[in-house]
Amino acid sequence: MSVRHALLGLLAQRPRHGYELRAALEAMVGGEENWDVKPAQVYTTLERLADASLVTLEAIEKEAGPEKRVYAITPAGQAVLREWLADGVERGHQRDEFFIKLMLCLISGEADPYQVIQAQRAQLYRELHATMAQRSALDPKRELAKILLLSKAEMHLEAELRWLDITEARLDEVRRQPLPEPPARPRGRPRKALNRA
Amino acid sequence: MSLIQTENLTKIYGHGETAVTALDHVNLNVGAGEFVAVMGPSGCGKSTLLHLLGGLDKPTEGRVVIAGQSLADLSDDALAAIRRRQIGFVFQSYNLIPVLNALENAALPLILDGTPAPAARAKAKEWLSKVGLADRLGNRPDQLSGGQQQRVAIARALVAEPSLVLADEPTGNLDWRASDEIAALLRQVADAWGRSVVMVTHDPRIAAYADRIIFLRDGRIVEETHLGAQGTISSDWVNGRLQANS
Repeated sequence: MSVRHALLGLLAQRPRHGYELRAALEAMVGGEENWDVKPAQVYTTLERLADASLVTLEAIEKEAGPEKRVYAITPAGQAVLREWLADGVERGHQRDEFFIKLMLCLISGEADPYQVIQAQRAQLYRELHATMAQRSALDPKRELAKILLLSKAEMHLEAELRWLDITEARLDEVRRQPLPEPPARPRGRPRKALNRA
Repeated sequence: MSLIQTENLTKIYGHGETAVTALDHVNLNVGAGEFVAVMGPSGCGKSTLLHLLGGLDKPTEGRVVIAGQSLADLSDDALAAIRRRQIGFVFQSYNLIPVLNALENAALPLILDGTPAPAARAKAKEWLSKVGLADRLGNRPDQLSGGQQQRVAIARALVAEPSLVLADEPTGNLDWRASDEIAALLRQVADAWGRSVVMVTHDPRIAAYADRIIFLRDGRIVEETHLGAQGTISSDWVNGRLQANS
């Protein structure tokens, strides 16, 4: 997910200045706790989009306070936006801190893997409960988008909890297998220490 | 003050070499108005725990105390009376009587306990309204959705004003949305109506409605997770859902 496309989308709705864009983005995702975009990131992205002629500086408003640079999307920007909208979103990489933790736990023997799984399970359940509590405070007549976003988070947590159950059930099998090791180096200079020996 | 306490609760099935320890010295306290979910792999002792709490089975060792009363000290008649008046049961398959309508099903525990029919029906109507079924009183189970049938079963569990509700996989036969509705209703049973709820489930989302999750493995509590302060899930929301889906 890039800030770039999000800004293009918001500018396709109507021209805005940087501060407005950041506020609109934050409101859309349901608060900065969900996606914290720093102001500096908004301004540098806008400059890059302008350099690539995807947006154009439409006006500079000078009222009370600092000047506000209002940007508008260009036809080239609209084309980039439409292309992005039409594409599927990749689910992303498999980098998973908990998985790394579990593997390191198995390799090092520094913790009981069942307890590591249980701690993660407790964490996920607390998050799930908190997410449902947050969702239950919303008004479906006005805040449906945010409810749907939270529902998605709940489903992901649920999937992770099920995965934990499966992993826990098969942990003994995993332990009996050799854990993944990097492939042996086929060629290259032998280490100095080995040379001497 | 705990409503339910178990002390070294143990259940062993069979004898000698074939003996199976279903529950192994479980110490559990459940407070009044607390909602506790019990989870664990199949065969971990979840159902045994629920049966012992409900006085449906006798422990091999240890005891269950409900509202200061040890179930082991009671005669069969007294135990039956506790089961009728102090404990409400909710099952996976609803266990409604097919030929009776919602009102008659919900009134049944009171009728069996000797309450005059008009009073029993009034009480059943009150609880069916509370679970959002005021306009379904005359429907038989086959004229109700799964979620609605389970709500009748919850009204039936509450009609005798028990202090404890035991639910065994209450959403096991329901789809995603109806499961949500039933879990929210059990939340309400604890929050709004002050009953203790102990629910066995294998569904993570449903368990997350509880105040606390107990994880059982090989008959022992291996972990307890507190999910949040009691009442963090809005009861207005729960009410809204019940009205919307009735």
